[in-house]
Amino acid sequence: MSIDLKSIQSGYDGFKLKDVSLQIARDSLTVLIGPNGCGKSTLLKTISRELHPRGGRVLIDSKDVTQQRSKMVARQISLLPQHPVVPPGITVEQLVGYGRAPYQNLLGLRSREDRLRVEAALEIVDLSPLKDKLVSALSGGQRQRAFVAMCIAQDTPYVLFDEPTSFLDIRYQYEVLDLMATLHEQGKTVVAVLHDITQAARYATDLVVMKDAQVCAVGKPTDIITEDMLSAVYGIDARVYADPVTGTPAVSAL
Amino acid sequence: MRHASSTRLIWTLLGLTFAAIAVFLWSLAAGAVRIPITTIINTLFDLDGPKQGFIINKSRLPRSLLAFCTGSSLALSGAIVQALLRNPLASPKIIGINSGAALGVLLTFIFAPTLDLNWLPVVAACGGILAAAAIFSVAEFAPVSPARLALVGIAIGMACDAAVDFILATSELYEVSAPLVWMTGSLWSRGWAHLNAVWPLLVGLSAITLLYSYRLDLIRLGTAQATSLGLNVRRERLALLALATLLAAISVSVVGVLGFVGLMAPHIARQMVGGTHRGLLPVAMLVGAILAMVADAAGRALFAPLEVSAGILTAMFGAPFFVFLLLSSFPSPIQ
Repeated sequence: MSIDLKSIQSGYDGFKLKDVSLQIARDSLTVLIGPNGCGKSTLLKTISRELHPRGGRVLIDSKDVTQQRSKMVARQISLLPQHPVVPPGITVEQLVGYGRAPYQNLLGLRSREDRLRVEAALEIVDLSPLKDKLVSALSGGQRQRAFVAMCIAQDTPYVLFDEPTSFLDIRYQYEVLDLMATLHEQGKTVVAVLHDITQAARYATDLVVMKDAQVCAVGKPTDIITEDMLSAVYGIDARVYADPVTGTPAVSAL
Repeated sequence: MRHASSTRLIWTLLGLTFAAIAVFLWSLAAGAVRIPITTIINTLFDLDGPKQGFIINKSRLPRSLLAFCTGSSLALSGAIVQALLRNPLASPKIIGINSGAALGVLLTFIFAPTLDLNWLPVVAACGGILAAAAIFSVAEFAPVSPARLALVGIAIGMACDAAVDFILATSELYEVSAPLVWMTGSLWSRGWAHLNAVWPLLVGLSAITLLYSYRLDLIRLGTAQATSLGLNVRRERLALLALATLLAAISVSVVGVLGFVGLMAPHIARQMVGGTHRGLLPVAMLVGAILAMVADAAGRALFAPLEVSAGILTAMFGAPFFVFLLLSSFPSPIQ
């Protein structure tokens, strides 16, 4: 049980992943890190099917995603996009309800189970009291939680987070990261793209380091985060020390 | 909330239905010849008492019904386009569908003036589809953001408008006077032939569009999110674009460029029942129908016996609304 990427080539004009192969183990919390433009978001967008690979295959639990009905894949993988779109005039509860789309017919009629799942998801992200508010009226942190609740309602074994902390202040960053950890504890496999190496090291069970459209290192945070790696991948002189709170590797640039 | 919002939807729909009926009756009464409401009812239901068979049956009844159909279709089309482009300022007019249809119909007026009226919707639809196809082929072959797509649409619309202006400027006056009135969005001299040519199509397309309401909700979340929710975004977007194009182009073919109905109606509807398309679409249809009927009848009654085109009236009231939208939908310049 895993997500398997087999020599993936995908990208945009002028940028393409160079035959990336990677296995993301079930029950891991895998975080992709790397400098800007290294292809980590492209890789995540390929897994989430926003980008079609020009070569290679994406397998989920050994089944090719392109060989399955889109709805079936949507019951396997959910996504918190990098830039979630806030639709006008939609309440929090309605938004979270869209997470049930893979289980509904084209008319989107809700079953009892749909309603219970939505309620439970709102409970987990602590938005139940705000469920009748418009999403557009929420603060940045609350919005992000609403979109996470949509993923929870989607009830998938795999959840993808594409730079979930960007544009959030430090409190809400940790709020979203903690939610991510909660989902992982509840048995979901989480794959995230993060910029902050110290945060990545604190939350990840597995790290994937990318550079120049390739995977250059895979492993446990303590093995991966070294001063040599930071210098080779990011081109910075930095000191690595144990985070005083968690003991995981933390980074300070010189 | 579920119950509260469905109750609200039902009451809104009921209220709008009554409003639509009232406006419909008023539109039969209004004009150069004012007809009392009892006379209208006598005529419609063939009761005893004073009747006005000729004016009502031959002129105002088909016109009002046509205004109803096209107003609601343009509103639907606008709601689709706004969801597809994720832009509250989008409308069929803004992405060039209307201008393409206008150009198609004008070319027909000039080069095939004897063409049967039944073909007019087909011609307009072709023009609109060509314009829309040009816009969306840009999107397919050079993927762009919805904002840029809207800009491409505006550019193509302008090109069509330029062609329309060129034809009008180089033609003899008598040749273009009829198209000119048509272009401003008038229902003047529209009759049963026009109505019969378009209503089955518009009703059918509207019904199909209503079945797409949930998919519109999902597509409104953006490509990444909609895909991860299991929607085949590419296919659904194409289908929805085709629906929006046909609804707008066919409407434009008989009533001309009825500006702003497609922009205003979805916004008013969103204010009334929120953003889920299951409620938004039917409410927008009724609002659009009411707007079109009011504009047509008011244009007939205001300066009777002169007529002001419904398109001119909707634009006159639509323009300030548009500015209001611009100001209120971008509360801060940094976004």
